[in-house]
Amino acid sequence: MNKSNFIHKFRHSAKPYKMEDEEEESPTELNTINGLSSFVVISPDKLSLKYTGVSQHGHDVGVVQANKPAPCNRIAYYFEIYIKDAGVEGRVSIGFTTDSFRIARHPGWELNTCGYHGDDGLIYLGKRQGEAFGPTYTTGDTVGGGINYDSQEFFFTVNGTLVGTVSKYIKGPLFPTVAVHSQNEEVTINFGQEKFAFDFKGYESAERNKQQIAIEKISIPSNMSLGLVKNYLLHYGYEETFHALDLATNSTVPPINGTQEDGIEDTSYALHERKNFRQLIGKGEIDAALAKLRDCYPQLVQNDKSEVCFLLHCQKFIELIRIGALEEAVKYGRVELAKFLGLAAFQVIVEDCFALLVYERPQESNVGYFLEESQREVVADAVNAAILSTNPNNKNQLHSHLETLLRQLTAGCLELRSLNDGQGEAFSLHRLLTTTNWKRTKKTGKL
Amino acid sequence: MATSKKMITREEWEKKLNAVKLRKEDMNTLVMNFLVTEGYVEAAEKFQRESGTKPEIDLATITDRMAVKKAVQNGNVEDAIEKVNDLNPEILDTNPELFFHLQQQRLIELIRQGKTDEALEFAQEELAPRGEENQAFLEELEKTVALLVFDDASTCPVKELLDLSHRLKTASEVNAAILTSQSHEKDPKLPSLLKMLIWAQNQLDEKAVYPHINDLSTGQLEDPSE
Repeated sequence: MNKSNFIHKFRHSAKPYKMEDEEEESPTELNTINGLSSFVVISPDKLSLKYTGVSQHGHDVGVVQANKPAPCNRIAYYFEIYIKDAGVEGRVSIGFTTDSFRIARHPGWELNTCGYHGDDGLIYLGKRQGEAFGPTYTTGDTVGGGINYDSQEFFFTVNGTLVGTVSKYIKGPLFPTVAVHSQNEEVTINFGQEKFAFDFKGYESAERNKQQIAIEKISIPSNMSLGLVKNYLLHYGYEETFHALDLATNSTVPPINGTQEDGIEDTSYALHERKNFRQLIGKGEIDAALAKLRDCYPQLVQNDKSEVCFLLHCQKFIELIRIGALEEAVKYGRVELAKFLGLAAFQVIVEDCFALLVYERPQESNVGYFLEESQREVVADAVNAAILSTNPNNKNQLHSHLETLLRQLTAGCLELRSLNDGQGEAFSLHRLLTTTNWKRTKKTGKL
Repeated sequence: MATSKKMITREEWEKKLNAVKLRKEDMNTLVMNFLVTEGYVEAAEKFQRESGTKPEIDLATITDRMAVKKAVQNGNVEDAIEKVNDLNPEILDTNPELFFHLQQQRLIELIRQGKTDEALEFAQEELAPRGEENQAFLEELEKTVALLVFDDASTCPVKELLDLSHRLKTASEVNAAILTSQSHEKDPKLPSLLKMLIWAQNQLDEKAVYPHINDLSTGQLEDPSE
């Protein structure tokens, strides 16, 4: 049930935010151990290859993959090769192959591979016949291959210029692949350690902008944001902020429509009390909060084993630790917290709380985050939610409207990504909020 | 190509919604960003106190910025220009278009007050030189001066320049320039997120059937219509 959200947050309030992009691996060098590369010699730095076969037929291609597949938690991926020597026949190719590719053939000739070949300038997509695609390329050329996860396309460049795109028909992780197939052919590869000839950053920005521009074109009622902010402030009991904002906007900004006022009525329920509770808990005055709760909302503390009681007792315990009153904390723990030990949902937290007693400097321990301000906020939010639930007119005010919309947005974006073969930039509100210049719209003198 | 859409039941969708990890901190940041960018100083101060959220820019700079905006909105352009230069002399130096628009607004105000002689002198000394450097400026200048020609401004084809809404336009321009000079984005992030929600739902509609939120002001989840 949703109520356990606060319990969960109490225990994990300080877990650092995991940014998925940082965890995904990326190609860094050529793979020398997967059974390919029988017909090439690879340099010690694993960024160069030279053909050593005799190229008598179509199964002695010197083909090599990167050591890791292209990461897909982003808008696009790109790498480049430099043709040091196109050798006798200039049969170099660049493309992408899958994990199961173990055959000495050019990328693109086999199913589930893709290759742009330098000797004929054609693109091969798993069929024996290639299609016209771009120019041929030879010694001295820099050729790049990329995957655009938004449009689900492969794209290739020659000497810094985009030469073409083609639909990506292969699903799953793809390995950057390069092949050589005649005497003296030698190629070096660049996985981003060196500067690219192609403006890949610009390409990514342009792709991101395409989406932004389409989004900005959508129109929303002009007071929508203000209404949502007001509802948010009321929902959480930020009374003074609400009044200040109301004052600043009432005269200049008309309400959206009739329902707005009703919405405010509902969310204003017990606004003043909720503000007071938040203030008390924010200052760590848990005893006062509990006393007030018993006075004003006895129904919430009737069941001494309720979530609200649990969180308040835990917080009181923490406050005692904070001021170093260890003996009192132990006593309090015995009287008020011990009874929760049998209950699965609460046990782990009680144990964590008791662990605080052991450390000379509890704030530096791994349960030290219990002593942070954010912990008090979780308790305040829980009390706030509990009071809201006593509203007889309430239609389940679990979330503020803003939160509901953000959840829908996140779920929607995640579903889109999942339907896109799980590829593309994952939506992250946190990243959007902490990235500046997130919106790259041109400066217009718009009103 | 067969487009069979993925069917997502309300129950499944609500599970996904509940699984979303949303930090209160991030929502607070979003609210603070709104208050600060829109210039609601008192509300931002109170929010800092009530929620502990730190404003992303110094609140004192908001007061200054709002003073400039207000001056323009009240037609006190000279005052506004002085304030902008006090705040940061580089803003007008690096924004010739903004400076021209402010001067143009000043001219409009002189004309509005019926100070014809002063207006002409001002136009000749301050605006004509700018017009010589820039074709677009020259055209704007000519339009503005046209106001003087008509005794009854209501018959003038460029009479919208006299509208108070033009003051708001100029005020908005100044506001944006100040925000940019403070390395702050000139628009709050919240409206863009709302637009993104609509966009995401539109995109998802092509591939799946799932509960929508059609009325953003209520956030009411509606079952997919068959």
